[in-house]
Amino acid sequence: MSQTQIDTLDAATSTMTLSLDMGLYPRDVLYAAAYVFLDRAYVLLDRVDSRYVVHLRGKQKLDETALRAMAGEFSNELLAQALRLRVAKANQKIIEDITTLAIAGAGGMPSGDRDPALVDLDQPGEDGFLDDPLGIAEPWEAKKKDAAS
Amino acid sequence: MSAARPTSATVTLHRALYAADAITDAAATFGDFAAFAVHPQGEHYVVEIRDIDREVDGDVVAEFCNFALANTAIRRKSPHA
Repeated sequence: MSQTQIDTLDAATSTMTLSLDMGLYPRDVLYAAAYVFLDRAYVLLDRVDSRYVVHLRGKQKLDETALRAMAGEFSNELLAQALRLRVAKANQKIIEDITTLAIAGAGGMPSGDRDPALVDLDQPGEDGFLDDPLGIAEPWEAKKKDAAS
Repeated sequence: MSAARPTSATVTLHRALYAADAITDAAATFGDFAAFAVHPQGEHYVVEIRDIDREVDGDVVAEFCNFALANTAIRRKSPHA
């Protein structure tokens, strides 16, 4: 019934053996989940028939409650990593596109491809850039000179 | 307490779950504390560990297994890692 089950548990040695269906979790998910536990447990992976077997031994002394809690955390971590892997795969193309754009943007475009000017310098008025109906673009000094004279 | 520890051990690591170079790297990491010999046998790599330094504070064999697993996981270069 249970996809991840406790096969053995020994509080005296702080050890526990879990097993899980190989068809349920990809191997990368198993690695990722096991990796999370490396700082607080000794982890040994094995495979028996169609099940992964995970041997865990706490680096600190663990009673039965703590071991069962660790088994639950391991199951949760498997699920979290499975979801993470699925999201990463679904967004792979987007991530690659964004990264490509970012790298291309940081490097700048080759000079041959660069648009020489955004404004058509032969007919600048057509781009609207040099239209100045309110005279805002007129230099301040020129205005003062006119006023003084 | 450390005197009660064994000075040799044998570990079997499944070949489908542990990379050979990850195991040899882990063996090199702990080379100062024990002698390692790795050879494939059926579905497993058999790691014979001898001359384990009793003075080392910690479980050399278990730490070696953790390192082998960590090295393998890193080498897999999971896309979400």
